[in-house]
Amino acid sequence: MSQPAYTGQPKKKTKLDIAPIIGFIILLAVTIAMILPFGFMISTSLKTTKEMLVFPPTVIPEQFAWGNFKELFINDEIKFGRQYGNSLIVSIATVIGTVLSSSFVAFGFARYRAKGSQLMFMLVLGTLMLPYPAIMIPQFLLFTKLGLHDSLLPLILPAFFGSAYMIFLLRQFFSNLPNEIYDAGRIDGCREVGLYWKLTLPLAGPVLATVAIFSFIWSWNDLLAPVLYLDSQENFTLPIGMAAMLSSKFRIAPWNLMMAASLLSVLPIVALFAVAQKRFVEGIVLTGIK
Amino acid sequence: MNRNKGKLLLGLILVFSMVMSACTGGGKDGGKDGDIVTITHYTIDSPDRTFVEKLIPDFEAKHPNIKVKVTKAPYEQFDSKLQSAIAAKNAPDVTSHWGYGGFMEYYNKGMLMDLSPYLTDFKASDYNIPEDVMNIYKVDGKTYGIPVNSYVTVMLYNKDLFDKAGLPYPPSDYEDKSWTFDKMVEYAKALTVDSKNLNEAQYGVDFGFGERDQRPQYFGGNVYSDDTWTNGGKPSEINLTKPEVVEAFKKVYGLIYDQKVSPTPAFSKSVSGQFGDPFLSGKIGMSVVGSWSLAASSDFSFNVGVAAVPQGPNEKVRSVLYVDPLFVLKDSKHPKEALEWIEYLVTAEVQEKSIELSGGNPPVNQQAAEKYYSNFEGIDPEHIKQVFDGAYKYGFESYNHLISNYSQINELFINELASVENGDKKVEDVLPVIETKLKALLERLNK
Repeated sequence: MSQPAYTGQPKKKTKLDIAPIIGFIILLAVTIAMILPFGFMISTSLKTTKEMLVFPPTVIPEQFAWGNFKELFINDEIKFGRQYGNSLIVSIATVIGTVLSSSFVAFGFARYRAKGSQLMFMLVLGTLMLPYPAIMIPQFLLFTKLGLHDSLLPLILPAFFGSAYMIFLLRQFFSNLPNEIYDAGRIDGCREVGLYWKLTLPLAGPVLATVAIFSFIWSWNDLLAPVLYLDSQENFTLPIGMAAMLSSKFRIAPWNLMMAASLLSVLPIVALFAVAQKRFVEGIVLTGIK
Repeated sequence: MNRNKGKLLLGLILVFSMVMSACTGGGKDGGKDGDIVTITHYTIDSPDRTFVEKLIPDFEAKHPNIKVKVTKAPYEQFDSKLQSAIAAKNAPDVTSHWGYGGFMEYYNKGMLMDLSPYLTDFKASDYNIPEDVMNIYKVDGKTYGIPVNSYVTVMLYNKDLFDKAGLPYPPSDYEDKSWTFDKMVEYAKALTVDSKNLNEAQYGVDFGFGERDQRPQYFGGNVYSDDTWTNGGKPSEINLTKPEVVEAFKKVYGLIYDQKVSPTPAFSKSVSGQFGDPFLSGKIGMSVVGSWSLAASSDFSFNVGVAAVPQGPNEKVRSVLYVDPLFVLKDSKHPKEALEWIEYLVTAEVQEKSIELSGGNPPVNQQAAEKYYSNFEGIDPEHIKQVFDGAYKYGFESYNHLISNYSQINELFINELASVENGDKKVEDVLPVIETKLKALLERLNK
């Protein structure tokens, strides 16, 4: 810091220092802009119903209504705990299903050549173009005929039959694995299933983490399919419960409870991301490389 | 080793298929089981609708041969779930038009059962349902719905703001003809603080009379030709460019931009969010609104009163009625039992019980209505009674229940009138555009 005066002009020095400061200020501003809505969500989740409606809104609640969080769990009309559990079951099962089935199919597409395999791959990718509403009613008929209506299975089973997007993602990654590993495996007496289970999957950590996070988030946030299939309140998932809080135009929407519920519902995603972040970012970088 | 892994995978698949088949056995739909019949009641997932679940034990005790199952969906997804259930031949027995679609939409799609053959012993007077109300859901003399709740349009006012401005409270008696639209505007001017500063700004009146296309009715203009109300909700003519309709819209939006006594949409959104009611912020003096807003009155952060909708240019119509019926769907296998359930719900005793269970749904049974009027803390029951009586006398059923394909029509009005509400365009310029688009839309829909 205390450099002799002759080695450089102080003017130049301040100029050099300004760039990171500006950068820091910009970053700080963006960070605040990002955090602000989240902060407001926390603040609203701790307000009483009366305070929630006050204008201008208070930034820090006058009294912290921690009871809002308790209310979510004890109020029999909300059944938050039950819905949370159902959502966890569906999402975790979906992740397991997607990871297993998609990686299995992707392994086939990546490592084996057969007549028409390119065409089959194109067909799989083609299903990406079908929006959910297009298959909504046929799929609903199918699951109703199977007698699975009003159970969690219609939400979980499709995941066990692969997801086109994930298959694509995984295939690209598997194709880049060097052939030498597989040759070495075969020489050591590994069967084809073993090549998938013992060689490919352990090497695919980053991309599997990516697939897991994506499929978890999609399943966790899905509203339409659960609404269609689930009739009994015991089977409802979180998005249904939270949409229902807004449902009635005949009363004031309980924003404070909704914000408390939203806070709790982002926890698994934040936790999952924190655990898998390193691999997730690695995965995005890797899948970008051909 | 490899073989073991292979076996593991095979085992997994086996377990999985077993779970699947186990569930297949369990999930049978509740049809006939001996003499017991199960009917399904499909509703919105909100406490003021799902309260019927609490009535089921009593009903089942009185009707041992009927079981009632309630299924529900959030408001936004109500129609999708209903449509897919109908497509899968899994339709509920009893429901209502609680989603975006209205009665006429259901009727024209052939979703509703004609209840007349089952209603030979049914007398509306036994359930104290006024004849006019009962007639709303009749088409060609056939009954398609039994009314259960009747909401009306009321004026709510913020007593605190009135006291501060030193104004007398508006009357609740519809026969008090001194309470006119012009007088309301005069009051509103005294209540308004038109300021750019959101904290200081407050407005006199928020005139939410029906949906946008029904508002001219208050001023004596009719957007749709009269045959709409008799031919199944398909207007043969659109009158959006007739002078009285244009004048009516000018008056409605003049409240915002000429008189400056009503909040702009931007103001409303900033004080109450995208779907909120700005009245709740305590910055609106008077609000013409559906009576469902009353149900939340004990949560308001200010004192509230209820008044008559002022006398406007149309002597006959001063209130929009929202009568909620229950329908039996056409695919129902147990219409008789479904009707027994509906009849149970409109008996005086159950309607009285429902007021509290639902958090303040207005009963259609006039005997139970007396109890409803005294349900609101801090509001004189006599005022509520007067306002409801007047609204029935000067009421017209909401367009969304009477016009076919109303959700699309309403969306057109909302989108096109947004530029007027934001002050970007003039009513005279926008109405001809809506007329052209609406005609094209109706031609396509009502082919």
